Amino acid sequence: MSSTYTLDQLLPGQSGRVTRVGGEGALRRRLMDMGLVAGVDVMLLKRAPLGDPLEYKLRGYHLSLRKSEAQTIQVDLQ
Amino acid sequence: MAAQTLTIALAGNPNVGKSTLFNALTGSRQHVGNWPGKTVEKKEGFFQLGGWNTQVVDLPGTYSLAAFSVEERIARDYVIQEHPDVVVAVVDASNLERNLYLVTQFIELEMPLILVLNMSDMAHNRGIRIDPKQLSVALGGTPVVETVGSRGTGLEALKATLERVIKQGQSAPAVQLDYGEELEAELSKLEAEIASVGALAEQGKPRWLALKLLENDAEVVAAVRKMGCSSLLDAASEMIDRITESSGEDPETLITSARYSFVARTVSGAVTRPETFMRTRSDRVDSIVTHKIWGLPIFLAMMWLVFQLTANVSAPYLDWTDSLINGPLARGIQALLMLFGLHGTWVESLVIDGIVAGVGGVLVFVPVLLFLYTAIAVLEDSGYMARAAFVMDRLMRSIGLNGKSFLPLLIGFGCTVPAVYATRTLEHENDRKLTAFIATFMSCGARLPVYAIFGAAFFGAAAGNLVFSLYILGILIALATGIVAKRTIYRNAPPQPFVLELPPYRMPTPRNLVTHVWERTSGFVRKAATVILSCSIAIWLLMAIPTHAGVGEFNAVAPEDSLFGTVSQVIAPVFAPAGFGNWQSAGSLLTGFLAKEVIIGSMSQIYVGGSEAIASEDENLPTLGEEISGIVTSFAQATVLTAQEFINIIPRTINLIPVFSVPEAQFLPATEEEEDTGPLSQALMNSFTPLAAVAFNVFVLLYVPCMAATTAMRHEFGTRMMAYQLAYTIVIAWVAAVLVYQIGSLLGIGTA
Ligand SMILES: Nc1nc2c(ncn2[C@@H]2O[C@H](COP(=O)(O)OP(=O)(O)OP(=O)(O)O)[C@@H](O)[C@H]2O)c(=O)[nH]1
Repeated sequence: MSSTYTLDQLLPGQSGRVTRVGGEGALRRRLMDMGLVAGVDVMLLKRAPLGDPLEYKLRGYHLSLRKSEAQTIQVDLQ
Repeated sequence: MAAQTLTIALAGNPNVGKSTLFNALTGSRQHVGNWPGKTVEKKEGFFQLGGWNTQVVDLPGTYSLAAFSVEERIARDYVIQEHPDVVVAVVDASNLERNLYLVTQFIELEMPLILVLNMSDMAHNRGIRIDPKQLSVALGGTPVVETVGSRGTGLEALKATLERVIKQGQSAPAVQLDYGEELEAELSKLEAEIASVGALAEQGKPRWLALKLLENDAEVVAAVRKMGCSSLLDAASEMIDRITESSGEDPETLITSARYSFVARTVSGAVTRPETFMRTRSDRVDSIVTHKIWGLPIFLAMMWLVFQLTANVSAPYLDWTDSLINGPLARGIQALLMLFGLHGTWVESLVIDGIVAGVGGVLVFVPVLLFLYTAIAVLEDSGYMARAAFVMDRLMRSIGLNGKSFLPLLIGFGCTVPAVYATRTLEHENDRKLTAFIATFMSCGARLPVYAIFGAAFFGAAAGNLVFSLYILGILIALATGIVAKRTIYRNAPPQPFVLELPPYRMPTPRNLVTHVWERTSGFVRKAATVILSCSIAIWLLMAIPTHAGVGEFNAVAPEDSLFGTVSQVIAPVFAPAGFGNWQSAGSLLTGFLAKEVIIGSMSQIYVGGSEAIASEDENLPTLGEEISGIVTSFAQATVLTAQEFINIIPRTINLIPVFSVPEAQFLPATEEEEDTGPLSQALMNSFTPLAAVAFNVFVLLYVPCMAATTAMRHEFGTRMMAYQLAYTIVIAWVAAVLVYQIGSLLGIGTA
């Protein structure tokens, strides 16, 4: 059984599989449009020098999210 | 058959090479403007395809066709309402998965489609193999063309495919996405109902409308409501509830997932990727550029470099342009007027002081903009701009802005005009507007001469403190404005997501740079010409018209007796609470709208008496040959000086650290520009108290940006935004100046 984390809790280099995208409205839609839907694998690459935002890799490209946005996405650790 | 016009639309994610393809297809036959009522750029062009005159429309780069961002709405409305004959979907072949997501939405729209796999060189380098035939089959027979836009490879194949598709009678891809049993069942019910309402046909195909209703798409829902089909809306919302209840997810989520599953299946059938995770060169660059420790210094260094380029390195060419216009050009026109016997008449004065000066006012910005746009294009095309936003977001967010706002604000210290245009790099319209709005408070280079003259006159060795405080005041007002705006006007605006793609680093291609830079710079010249010209002529007229009999004739009147003087006298009392309620100050401030450094020129003319004629009557005019060689040599000198300034960025940067003092390179002997400011200083000290002088400088810092910046504002954001800015800056400037003067007086500082 893997426990549930949110995307911002990954460590650099760690991957998770998205289980749920929370939030609402335009932000949620934007996240999903960028490919963050249930079942996709996402890896945290690094944090910005000031700790926020975060850089992820998914579907073969790099995406940056703010911590507050990453918190709305639930993942299972791999 | 030449009369027949075809229309094709280019669509795709941002940064996939759409503009490059657009330029390659249309060459110079293109027009750049804005989409009606939006600050989003619209590009249209023409080319000959077979026997058809073909119009190409470059749609804004978007990731989706949801109706959330302005760009998405524009792209979607265009396709639905204008029915282009073919949509050419440009995708980045090295990043197929995310790119195809947008393509699925064009498939849903049932539009005739061609898929262009651009950047196929990048895909190849990364070991990604795409089978175009397989891909085409999976996408229901959509023709697939591979291109390398930056090299023009595949362009002929694209044209041939377009021609073939047109000749065969274009049809939509023969494929439907499968959204799962439950959704499909509800979809077909809804579809049937929609099909029975004839009036809905022009809003889109029934299946697409049904999908959008289930996605609860705000625009489609509103459109259907307007048609009075509320039963349809009720049915849809019941379905949404039912689906959400039974599957635990709302239809919007299910539909998005279904699109991505379709993409994943398509990609896995047609694409082979290298097994091992390759660490690309781009990754290595990135690990330095956004490094925990180096990230910020590198960012600051980049920004400093761009600032130096626009503020100092462009200066020699700026001076050259200026002297070209006011020297040979003005003299040439004067000679021409003399031929027509107009020498010494008001016509000559109008042409030289009004028109030529006005044209000059536009053209002097060209060198600055060329440098700015080159720098921006390099930053954007290389992929650094997105990293800059990544690195700075945290800081800028605390003042309600976005990481990308930093650059325009910094450029504002050089010149407000390029700063306004630099806001184009921001994604969201609100951020763009706010950043441009407050960029004017960054004290630009043209304001410095004013501070310097006043500082030297009133504070001697302590002049630096005045200058420094003014810069800080500008920054504080900008920040306060930003914070207040976020709390008030933008209070109800939804928070802008910072969901930002970080594209791989790429070498910018010169051809692309040149087109970008040329497009944008010429855009400014076209837009600015009329406004700046009319302002110059208006001020000239004011100065030329005498207000009462006996004080002089048209175009031969002292400033205080002209209409200009009268207007200044009327305005002057407004500034009394700020300590400078004389007409001379008011008048200089009026001319400051032309360009802020003009304030000093006006003041010396008013206080000391003008003595700056271009060429006095009996001076020996240079011959044409001399003029030309003069232009050429001064251009060569400007080029050398530019190189010198470029090199001097290094010592100048090192010298920022107090203990160092590295000499700057000097290729040419310095020409002493003797500016005799003694009499002016004396006159200023006679008519200003030190406190009033400070208040005056505060006003100069904050009041309306010059007309060129105002024009840029209108060009980018429309007349209303421009008017807001004018009003706001005047009020702020007045309040700040009055506060300085009144508080200072109360405390008894600098009143004597
Ligand atoms: N390697 C490579 N680079 C390309 C190719 N096509 C375009 N580029 C480069 O990619 C960059 C982006 O190209 P643009 O044409 O500005 O992209 P766009 O899609 O119009 O971008 P937006 O204006 O942001 O929507 C430029 O530096 C191009 O020179 C290609 O096929 N291969």
